[in-house]
Order: sequence, then C-alpha cells, then structure tokens
Amino acid sequence: MLLVWLAEAVVFVLIVAGILAERPPALAATGAAIVALGLLLRTAPALRRRLGEAFAARRGAALAGGAVLALALPFALRASPYWTFVAALALLYVTIGQGLNLQIGSAGLINLAGAAFAGLGGYAVGLLTVGAGWPSWAAVLVAPWVAVVVGALLFVPILKTRGHYLALVTIAFVFIFNILMNNLEFTGGPQGIKNIPTLRILGYAFTTKPVVLGVELPAHANFYYAALVTAWLATVILRRLHDAWLGLGLNTLRDDEIAARCAGVSITRGKLLAFSLGNFFIGLGGALYAVMVGFVSPPDFDFGYSLIMLSVIIIGGVDSIPGVVLGASLLLPLPERFRFLHEYRLLLYGLVILVMLLYRPQGLWPAGIRRYR
Amino acid sequence: MPPLELLLQQALNGVMLGVMYALIAVGFTLFFGVLDVIHFSHGDVFMLGAFAGLSALLGLAAVGLTGGLLALPLAFAGSMLATGLVGVAAERVCVKPLARSSPLMTLLATLSLGLVLREAVLIFYPRGADPKPFPRLLPQGGFEVGGVVVRWENLVILGIGFAAMVAVDLVINRTRMGAAIRAVAQDPEAAQMMGVNLDRTVDATFFLGSALAAVAGILSGLYYSEIHFIMGITGGVIGFSAAAIGGFGNVYGAIIGGLLFGLLQTMAAALIPRGSEFRDVVAFAVVMLFLIVRPSGILGEKSVERV
Repeated sequence: MLLVWLAEAVVFVLIVAGILAERPPALAATGAAIVALGLLLRTAPALRRRLGEAFAARRGAALAGGAVLALALPFALRASPYWTFVAALALLYVTIGQGLNLQIGSAGLINLAGAAFAGLGGYAVGLLTVGAGWPSWAAVLVAPWVAVVVGALLFVPILKTRGHYLALVTIAFVFIFNILMNNLEFTGGPQGIKNIPTLRILGYAFTTKPVVLGVELPAHANFYYAALVTAWLATVILRRLHDAWLGLGLNTLRDDEIAARCAGVSITRGKLLAFSLGNFFIGLGGALYAVMVGFVSPPDFDFGYSLIMLSVIIIGGVDSIPGVVLGASLLLPLPERFRFLHEYRLLLYGLVILVMLLYRPQGLWPAGIRRYR
Repeated sequence: MPPLELLLQQALNGVMLGVMYALIAVGFTLFFGVLDVIHFSHGDVFMLGAFAGLSALLGLAAVGLTGGLLALPLAFAGSMLATGLVGVAAERVCVKPLARSSPLMTLLATLSLGLVLREAVLIFYPRGADPKPFPRLLPQGGFEVGGVVVRWENLVILGIGFAAMVAVDLVINRTRMGAAIRAVAQDPEAAQMMGVNLDRTVDATFFLGSALAAVAGILSGLYYSEIHFIMGITGGVIGFSAAAIGGFGNVYGAIIGGLLFGLLQTMAAALIPRGSEFRDVVAFAVVMLFLIVRPSGILGEKSVERV
C-alpha cells in the first residue's frame, strides 16, 4: 500500500514541478528527474513488475490515493490561476472524451462532430441564460439534453452509413453547425454569446475565491472541483456501462455487425443508445465550458476541436476508459507548457499524433482484454 | 423565383466550381480504389498545389517571364510535379503503412498530416497567414449571350479543367499504368500475381491524383485571384463529399459528383433568401440526405456483405 502511494506521490510531485518550474535550474532538475525515472522503469523490469503487482493488488488504495491527489492539485497550483484553469479544462475534456470514446471506441461510430455537440451544449447554456434568463445551474442541467435531442437528427445516417461515409456525414454536420452559428441572428453570429452568468449554487457564486482549510485558492478552483466531480461521474458511469453487457454488445457490433445481429445484439438499439449517451456527456462538457469561460463563439467549436477530442482518445487508447483520462491530462496541458513554441504548436501536435499512430497505434494505455469472473 | 438569366449565370458558375471540385474528387476516388483508404490530407495537397503554382509564377516573373501563354504552362508543370511528389511522399509515410489498420487510424493519420501541411505553409511560407494575391494571367473581358455574361477566363478555366479530366480518362483507360491501377483497384492480390508491381502502381496513383489536385489549386487561384492556407479544409471536405456522391472508386462518379456539388452550391445561393451565406449548409445537407438514400453513391456498386 505504501509503495502504491509513494509511486503516486512521486508522479504528482513531478507533474506539479513540471508545470510550475520556470527558472532554468528548476526546469532542468525536473526534466532530469522525469528522464531518470523513465530510464529507471525501463531498465529495471523487476521494479516495473513489482509496481504493477502492487497497483493490481491494492486497487482501492491506488484509487483513494489518486482521488486525494486530484483534490490536492489546486492547492499545489494555487499560485497560478491560469494553470488551475488549464487543469479544469483538461477535466472537461475527460468528460467529453469519455462520451466520445463510447461512440468511437466502443461502438465504432466515427463521430467527427464532437465539437458540434459540445457547441450545442455551450450554445444551449448561452441561449437559456442570456436569452431566456434562466439560472446557470438549470441551463447546465438542460443543455446536455439539447445535444442529445439535436443529435437525433443524425439517427438515420448513423444507422444507414458506416466507416468513411459516417465520418463524412459527421464532418458535414460540424460544418453546418458552424455556418449556422456564424450566420444566424439569435446565436449572435460571429461574435457569439457574451456575458454568460457564472454558476451559482445555493447563493455561492463560482467567481468567488474559495478559502479551503485556511488556504485561498484561485476562483477557477471552483470550476476545477466541479469539472473533477463531473469527470469522475462520467468515468465511473461509462466504466460500468463498458464492463456491462451494453459495452460487450457494442464491441461486438463494432467488430462485426452481421455476427452481432446473429448473436442477438440489437444494432439499432446499441448504436442509438451509444450515440445519444455519448452526446450527453459531450454536451455536458460543452455546457460547463460555456459557464467557465463566460462566452461562446463559433471558432470555439470548429472542426479542429473535433480533431483534438478525437486525439484524446487515440493518444490514450481506443476503447480504453483510463486511456481517455490519461490522454486528456497529457494532450491539454502539454501544449500550454510549451508556449515558447507557440507558433509551432499545432505543427508539433500533428506530428506527435502522426508518430503515435505509426509507432504505437494502440495508445499509451491500451484497453485490456475483457475478463469476467 | 429569380429570373432565368440569373439561374443560367449561376449554372455557369456552378460548372466552374464543379470542375475544380471534380479534379479534387478524382484524387479521393483513385486513392480509395487502390488502397481502400480516405486520404484526408488531399485537401491540403490541393492547397499546396496552389502555393506551388504561385511560387512558380513568382519565380518566373522574377526572371522576366510574365506572359500568361508561356508562364502558365510552366507553372502548371512545375506545380504538378512538386505536388505529385508530395502526394507520393504522404502516401509512403503515412497512408500505406496504415492501410491495413482500421479506417479510423488512416482517417486520423491523414487528418493530422493535413494539419502538418497547413501549419507548415502558415509558418514557412513568407507571411503565410495572409491571403496571397494570385496573378491574373488569363485574358480579361468577355461577351454576353442571352443575358449571361461569359468571361474569357472562365472559358479557359473550363477548358483546362476538362482537358485534365480527358487526360485522366486516357491515362486510366489507355495506358499500361492505367490498366495496372484498375487491376489493383479490383483485386490487389490477383493483380500482383499477374505481374503488376503493387508499390509502383500505388505511387503512380498518388502522383496522378495529387497532380490533378495541383491543377485544381492553380485553377482555383486563377478563379478567385487569391489563395489562402486554409483553403484546403473546405476543398478537402467538398472533394470528399463529391467523391462520396459519385461513389468511391469510380472516376466518372467523382466527376459527376463534383459538378453536382458546384451546381448545388450556386443554385442554393440563387434560390434561397440569404443563400450565399447558407449555400454550404444546403449543399452539405443534400450530401447527407443523399448518403442516407443511396449510401454507395450514384455510380458506386452495391456491396454484398458476407461474414
């Protein structure tokens, strides 16, 4: 148990140091520590096996330790509101990634319209609060359903088309969404919707700086914790569904529709359920994004973001629930860390994904083989 | 209902756009034929073609060649060669190695490659973020028939586009390499047993398709008198749509699909209030409906599945 917690604490310290190190000596020390750790794990298979066994035997302790460290992260980052914001954003991408992973990873529905469904959630919040005067929390609760209901427009294409054709349909959907948002009057056109009121629960506004255990945290810590709870819920719910009959059925229909039908899996029910449920979580992520940032506009939800969402899944590992968490935690903060390469950011980003696909297509944390006891 | 002249004018514009879309779509469909993949960076290869053409024209102007009659064919040749080689490189690096994995992988790999190409032009082309003016080398002016204005440059663009299509048709149907491409599209293993060099055929297909995209890129530059590094995104999605409408794997289908998409756009612009803003919404919506009703495209074969 101690070994598990020690390992987690080391990773946590390295992450925080990696984020906050600014001066060259600190940066060099952190980099050296990360490289040394990597080399150590690589050259000592006994240690690796020992760690693997420890984590497998003490799952509960490992998860509890992870939860404590996730809760502690804003304290470590309290000097930097910006990094608290990035951490919250990464957690929103965990929620979105889990939804998308159910569609793409489990059910094989190539949905390149992730940005559009997140946008539907975000715009729904904008319209309900600024347009209709709803309180933000009510809008956030309703917005995911908007994504689900509008997603029903794609039910027929989902059932009728497959593979490349489905990819094309969803790409067309993002473009249509973007053109409409850019040109319709009630969505604010290119300016989008500004001044979305922040979340307010039982009179507590999310813009106040929370004081926890006598420590003042940046205001974004509120959203960090909200996003943490949401990401945790999404991960637990989708992990359960993934391990249940639904997940197994979806995997079957992904691998071979005809064989799945012969085995009694309902293609229609499986695909529509996976698609709608996925859109719910993607829409939820978009809705929280809208209240966190305070405005929505068309460029926030264009095709490029669909690709980022898709990359989260690919980097982590297709159909891998922990992979999505890992993918989002790496893919969102890393480009921010290397801002001095800002100009080359997207170029490097594309190259990394390309190299990843060519040399490690199963992802960093591949989905394991299903085990039933 | 808008007047007939307007509709005819828009039909002419639609055919103009359609020719360019068709040239991109032919690439998509050829690649799909030989490797069963969607080469999504093809849209950005089209953009590269336009930039290569512009660079060639600027280079020629620097050595004193400014006349359209000599500079333009040289620019076409240079851009087709350069872009064709980029297409082959793209295929060798990231399409063929992944061709056997799931469609999701090739789709994402080529999308990422497209991102890399786009960013490379943005960063490394001088002032790449700005739209670049494209020299007007075609004869200006025109004439009017029945209220429809026909410009000389439109006719030249149409002529070049159709010539390129006829050339593809000849290459595919009349040459040995074309026969090899058709054989590989039908059955790669059987083709190899008949002595077709698979790697060389795939390379040739990507060279041909990418060179056609370069033609489309230069035509688009001549038509709009401007090129921009993001033109590949819409170009790619429209070319992909056109190939899907026509039925993947069928060259004639891609041409018909391209022309249809161009006509759809311009007709939507003419017939719908505020149509010029919403023309792509209409065009994409029709593509979606079309794929639902006839998923294999106009000329695509109906596939029978076996477990």
